[in-house]
Amino acid sequence: MNTFLSRLNTIFAFTLSVMAGLTFCCFLTTAFNEHKAPVYIGTGKAIVKNVPDYSATREKNDLGFVVFDMQADLSRIFNWNVKQLFLYLTAEYETKDHVLNQVVIWDKIIKRGENSVLDYRSSNTKYYFWDYGNGLKGNNNVTLTLSWNVIPNAGTLPKIRGEGSHKFKFPNEYSTNRL
Amino acid sequence: MAEVRHKGLNTPSSDNGQQSTSAQDFDGQKRAEKWFQIIIMVFGVVGFIWGYICQQFSQTMYILIAGFVISCFLTLPPWPVYRRKPLKWLKVKQEPESDSTNNATPSSGSSHKRRGK
Repeated sequence: MNTFLSRLNTIFAFTLSVMAGLTFCCFLTTAFNEHKAPVYIGTGKAIVKNVPDYSATREKNDLGFVVFDMQADLSRIFNWNVKQLFLYLTAEYETKDHVLNQVVIWDKIIKRGENSVLDYRSSNTKYYFWDYGNGLKGNNNVTLTLSWNVIPNAGTLPKIRGEGSHKFKFPNEYSTNRL
Repeated sequence: MAEVRHKGLNTPSSDNGQQSTSAQDFDGQKRAEKWFQIIIMVFGVVGFIWGYICQQFSQTMYILIAGFVISCFLTLPPWPVYRRKPLKWLKVKQEPESDSTNNATPSSGSSHKRRGK
């Protein structure tokens, strides 16, 4: 504390300590938030094809196509400790080989300040709905669920499952026409 | 304010043996530390409340940085308020010329004796 530079060092270190304390307090103000929101999901026509997956084994696998509607108001999740949400729509289903299969077929990043009210009608999936095998044809219990990661300024990265899901079925026959 | 011009010189002044330098004295250092802690804490708390009200944590950070800048301005330079209680040094003792020369250049023999003890 006897020279200019040693005082500068002390003040800077003290400021950083206060900054860390404030950031921790900011985390505490939102630590008990639920981050939940109701989600409505619906689907339109679903078809399934049996085509070679050239990105993988080149064997013929089931490829599902489905259009979906989705409405959700996520604006209440945002607060001063949320920078953005990472949304992802997963399809879950059971096959002979595996009890639980999960495929992410759509995702989206919503930054704070952007529109956080989702309203999609007859939207196509963003990613291919591949099954490794033939588990989609005639599958009558495919569940769509919207989940999200909350990315905060400080704190944990909670993975939240939206309240509400939708079940649909794939037809018993492969579709052969071009989509 | 004339004392500021002696920046960097730590020599005692010729009048009544007081140290007159550009540095903060010990009491001034203590008060400078107390003041920057108070300023930064107050800005931090106010910034936290304001940031919570408008739900922008960046506002909290900006206000805290403003407190940092203000406390730097108020406590980094050796302002006169931090130089009110300088140390009172004793006057320089004038010693005889012969004694000082003997002490300054000890012979090689004397160092041997010291090692023996």
